[in-house]
Amino acid sequence: MNQRQIRRLPNRGRQLLLAGALLVAGAVAFGTRAVATESTDARTADQDVQALKKELVDLNRDLFRLEEEILYPASTQVAVFLSLNVGTFFALDSVQLKLDGKEVANYLYTQREVEALHRGGIQKLYLGNLKAGEHELVAVFTGKGPHERDYRRGTTLQFDKAVGAKYVELRITDRDAALQPEFAVRQWE
Amino acid sequence: MTPSLVHRCRSLLVGAMLACAGGMAVADDGTQPAADVPPPTRIRDLDYGDVLFHFFQDDYFAALVRLEVAQEAGRVPDHVAEAELLSGGLYLSLGMQAEAKRRFEALLAARQVPPSVSDRAYFYLARIAFQRGDAADAWQSLGRIRGALPGKLEPERRLLAANVLMSLGRFQEAAASLDGWQDGSVWADYARFNLGVALVRSGEAARGVQLLTAVGTMDARNEERMALRDRANLALGFALLQDRQAEPAAAALRRVRLDGPFTNRALLGLGWAETDASRPQQALVPWLELRERPVVDAAVQEAYLAVPYAYTRLAANGQAAEQYRNAVSAYVAESRRIDESIAAIRSGGFLDSVLDAMPEGVGGPEVASWFWQLSRAPDAAHTRYLYPLLATHSFQEGLKDYRDLRIMQANLETWSGSLEAFAAMVEAREAAGQALGPRKAALLDAADLGGYEQRRAELDARVAQIVATRDVAALATPEEAVRWSALHALEARIEALPAGDQRTALAERAQLLRGTLLWQLDAEYKLRLSRVRTGLGQVDEELAEARSRLTMVEQAGGDAPRETESFAARVEELDRRIARLEPRIEAAAAAQERLLADIAVRELEAQKARLASYATQAQFALAALYDGAATGAAR
Repeated sequence: MNQRQIRRLPNRGRQLLLAGALLVAGAVAFGTRAVATESTDARTADQDVQALKKELVDLNRDLFRLEEEILYPASTQVAVFLSLNVGTFFALDSVQLKLDGKEVANYLYTQREVEALHRGGIQKLYLGNLKAGEHELVAVFTGKGPHERDYRRGTTLQFDKAVGAKYVELRITDRDAALQPEFAVRQWE
Repeated sequence: MTPSLVHRCRSLLVGAMLACAGGMAVADDGTQPAADVPPPTRIRDLDYGDVLFHFFQDDYFAALVRLEVAQEAGRVPDHVAEAELLSGGLYLSLGMQAEAKRRFEALLAARQVPPSVSDRAYFYLARIAFQRGDAADAWQSLGRIRGALPGKLEPERRLLAANVLMSLGRFQEAAASLDGWQDGSVWADYARFNLGVALVRSGEAARGVQLLTAVGTMDARNEERMALRDRANLALGFALLQDRQAEPAAAALRRVRLDGPFTNRALLGLGWAETDASRPQQALVPWLELRERPVVDAAVQEAYLAVPYAYTRLAANGQAAEQYRNAVSAYVAESRRIDESIAAIRSGGFLDSVLDAMPEGVGGPEVASWFWQLSRAPDAAHTRYLYPLLATHSFQEGLKDYRDLRIMQANLETWSGSLEAFAAMVEAREAAGQALGPRKAALLDAADLGGYEQRRAELDARVAQIVATRDVAALATPEEAVRWSALHALEARIEALPAGDQRTALAERAQLLRGTLLWQLDAEYKLRLSRVRTGLGQVDEELAEARSRLTMVEQAGGDAPRETESFAARVEELDRRIARLEPRIEAAAAAQERLLADIAVRELEAQKARLASYATQAQFALAALYDGAATGAAR
């Protein structure tokens, strides 16, 4: 192979290589182009899917309402919510809920749920039915208290259930002065 | 190849590379628009708190359904505007841009929307418009934001504004908007990266290189920043290669991590930089490393051609010829595997296999980020060649739509079962209502509340008379009453006796007894009257309780048949809606699958064409080598 040929071959190789490089680099561009040619179809399909999803949201809303009205009519409905305000002194693990001595909920929290509570979410812990009259609610919270100690505390509420839905909120707050958590129950009208 | 042609090829190459790197650098693709909606400082409606509880766990569908129920039932009266804003954000998160836009616009059209809410609504409208490709509309919405947005939304707004300006070709303004943006957020770096790429593309290489260098040399302590730094160095390396600045290009490409999603392309580029710097032996280092990697990657495929090219530059023609032969074999084998992939996609189940390949726990709005973090597609027949395609926004949107449809299909199946149970319950209630009817009527008939009330009124009148006449004897105990009656009888008998001393003496004794008894009764009168009044009060309470219970019994029974009828009608209507939607979901999912499978097959066919082209090039090069060797031998 003479000098001229040696120079020619690499040049040829380089030309081929660069053409190949364009193909490599353009891999995504090819994909994008392929998507672009389908874009009209895709847009129509997307619009159809969006419309279908909206109908499904509406249907779910109506189903959800029907379920609530059939299973928990307003005249007997009782809902117990749980909220966490700051919660520096207490890491929530679980809650046990008793209504008139009968356990109605025993809930173990995931990290994700606890974070959602910390960010301001309020959990609907229990939804059930109660007849009008005097009732007793007992909630027992377990978790880690100050200094990583196991912590178990209860709170009780005697309440009068009238004809109409009853909302009760269990609130875990910080009692800064005592550096302790505080567990309170609040009735909502 | 003439220098100008080489240069043109390089320009195209760098342009494509920048398109690749820059296209994926838009961190803000609108897949999680609602995730940063800050909660109100105080929740005033428990139902709104319940919606947020699901929302903060990224369970957007559950949050939206609960929000719709709460809004319809008027249970969020203290969070009306925020709830509407959240609703728009949730629709956006679930890929329903049209409905989201409608919600935001309706919210903004309403009166008395606090600026904190309207600003966020305009931000999301801008995002929707930008996603739709309408930068002018996006810019208009951004212009209506009056104050700083809360939390992470503000840097996102600045990034969006910079991106919109770039889309409008207003690079100077985009650059000006980045000046002084030093809040330490990754958003500012994304904006600098995007602007750097846009400037290089538009021909303002110097300013673009400056921005990309800043991002490519930034301090990165988390995966997101490290990935962005890699992308910046990759784009910078190719921009400099285009400008024939081999040394700084090599320096930028060497900064790309060796174990990231951009490593292969960086190694390929580094080889070119070395050859440009007339160091073909050095170019072999990254290219040989690259050739050891799975051949499914496009950069690796190209390395099969690049390695023998370097050998020819080193005049090692024997090794070059061997490598070209290896390349041809590898391309043919790869092409066969692509055929298998096409067949697998054609046989169905393509999207399910893509979803199955996802790591556990992934499937929410973070799907996009999962693909982004993947260095290559899962090694399954359906997906192994599709990483670049899977990573595109439009493909992921299509995939999410498909996944949503399948989730909703499962959701409807569950509801279908529940509806059957509801229907049975309604039926049972109807039967119980019918059976209870006669018992209820008998109970209501027997409950003579009027009689009791009459007696209560009589008692009241009697007490009033006792008080008026201070009739202490009327409050006597039964024993006292017996004694009182006996005394009365005794007095009558004494009266009947013949007059005389005996009668007088007896009468005096009777009078004494009467006086004593009256004195006792009088002493107890107030206490006894108070007891009687307390007793009457209790009677009143019990009568009221009985009245309330009877009213409840009457009402409970009164509405029951109507309610049961209405429930039965609703169950039937919802059942019909489910039945209508089920085949539509199935058809939409199948259409989605077909659409994306077609796109995937076209992508694979393009890859096959590329491999065929590589194989042809390798064969030509091989032929040229043989030709050269033969010519040399002949001489």
